[in-house]
Amino acid sequence: MYKADEVVAVAEETTLLAPSCSQERRTTVRSRAIGVLAAAGIAAVLALTGVGWLNGPAVAAWRTVCLAITVQALPFLLLGTVLSGAINAFVPADLFTRVLPRRPALAVPVAGMAGAILPGCECASVPVAGSLIRRGVTPAAAFAFLLSAPAINPIVLTATAVAFPGNPAMVAARLLASLVTAAVMGWLWLWLGREDWLRPTARHTGHRPGHSRWQEFRLGFRHDFLQAGGFLVLGAMAAATFNVAVPSSVLDAFSGSPWMSVLFLAGLAVLLAVCSEADAFVAASLTGFSPTARLAFMVVGPMVDLKLIALQAGTFGRAFALRFSTATTAVAVITSVLIGGALL
Amino acid sequence: MKRHIQAVLLVLTGLGLLHAALFTDLCLRYVKEGQRPVLIASGALLVLLGLAGAILDRTAPEDDGHAHFNVPHADGHDHSAVPDAHDHDHSAVPRVAWLLFLPALSLLFFAPPALGAYTASRANNQAVKKGQHFDPLPATTPLPMTLSDFTARVQQDRGQAVRGRSIRMTGFVTPAEKGGGWYLTRIIFTCCAADSQSVKVRMYGTPAAPANTWLAVTGTWHPGGTLGTRTAPAALDVHRTDRIAPPVNAYTDDLPLTPS
Repeated sequence: MYKADEVVAVAEETTLLAPSCSQERRTTVRSRAIGVLAAAGIAAVLALTGVGWLNGPAVAAWRTVCLAITVQALPFLLLGTVLSGAINAFVPADLFTRVLPRRPALAVPVAGMAGAILPGCECASVPVAGSLIRRGVTPAAAFAFLLSAPAINPIVLTATAVAFPGNPAMVAARLLASLVTAAVMGWLWLWLGREDWLRPTARHTGHRPGHSRWQEFRLGFRHDFLQAGGFLVLGAMAAATFNVAVPSSVLDAFSGSPWMSVLFLAGLAVLLAVCSEADAFVAASLTGFSPTARLAFMVVGPMVDLKLIALQAGTFGRAFALRFSTATTAVAVITSVLIGGALL
Repeated sequence: MKRHIQAVLLVLTGLGLLHAALFTDLCLRYVKEGQRPVLIASGALLVLLGLAGAILDRTAPEDDGHAHFNVPHADGHDHSAVPDAHDHDHSAVPRVAWLLFLPALSLLFFAPPALGAYTASRANNQAVKKGQHFDPLPATTPLPMTLSDFTARVQQDRGQAVRGRSIRMTGFVTPAEKGGGWYLTRIIFTCCAADSQSVKVRMYGTPAAPANTWLAVTGTWHPGGTLGTRTAPAALDVHRTDRIAPPVNAYTDDLPLTPS
């Protein structure tokens, strides 16, 4: 494998399962060519312009925001991948199937509520959900967990209460709307979901007899962390681009119409990729918007955003990530409007 | 991605975090002080896991590793050619992992500065908390105040306690878009620099220093509207400015500004 082959050719992710040898070779050659081109392009740009532009105000702000998102999320990602590696290597295979209700339709809400025990933001939940599926948890239940965990854990709810002082209805609405969205998405998966949207997860089988558990943990962790870390950086770059390119003074233009403002803030949550522990403060600062629109911001944000889509694409495959994120956004917006209308 | 590069990447990422959080104050440009212990722990863990991995990889036989362990092949591609072979493709780390080198190297060698005037000039003014209770102001002159406190006093304090008082505030210079005026600004965030908000107070009476210059400004409230209501501008007639060193943690709106 040549060095140039490996330079940032994300689109050329390994084609799945048993392509013929010639296909394999063609893909490799193509990705190698793309890698060479990308490297040559970057080198040419740097040679022509020097590194001074990297310190221009806009570029420096972009780099700062990008690095901030990455640095903020890395510990949580580490926690998530260590947990997922540990679940994979050390937890007995039948534990989850014993704890969760046997019927998937019942397992979904239980798994959704179990999300309350994973403290942290959304980056940790993706690898954990991935390892749950590998351990035989029904995907619907794992997805309910994936969606609810970053939104309803005590840290995030406390932050929400602090950000909206004297407004406990907002905390209750967020908890309820997030739980309902997670459960609905789990049931939706049971109803419409297709296994072949998920990337085959052959690489982890959990602990196998005769193999060192620590070795399995180490290799599983390293794989998950490096993969998820790469996608995290990709997502952070996308989010930083929107963060820097769209000045927040644009926001006020959308605060007039109630419908537009809900959709706009939901879209903003996707683009900004603010950590779920902080999004309540951002929502609180969007004073021009209706409480329902701000609720939508806080319900959509932890479930769908650019870095999450990138992380999910890495863990579960692109076919899944796009469908799942779209459906989740729609369900989350509808749920927020209904619950926000009733409670706020 | 080859196994030794994976180990190097883990170690570099860990070193980057340690460099930013333990050996320097770099991390304060991006996240809150409270994140520091978590970052140090993560950095140390990554370095340990990377080093342990590098050592264990050397002892584990590479070629027939899958006969004993879940040891990866050097080339991540060959698994797909033999799909019936059991799952030993941990090394099939997608190329996207190379992107992790960017933050690691950036933290180590080329860390971007804290957010400044560029961001502040494009941000909305931060909403100042409503319904605050105002205690009588201390008698000190000049009276040190934060930008947020000053804004709240001017626009909400019916007692008009700031009228006629000489006030001292610190922040960095953000030029106004038009008219050549400038603002004294602070950027604050709650979690990381991605959710930053800015507090601005308009300055009158002195020409603007270059953008991002840190200043301590002394002056009195710039009259306009009715003091203590929303009509009053958060603005200051400047009597005196002093350059100060940029604070280590620029993202606060706190009184004692102690560069260390």
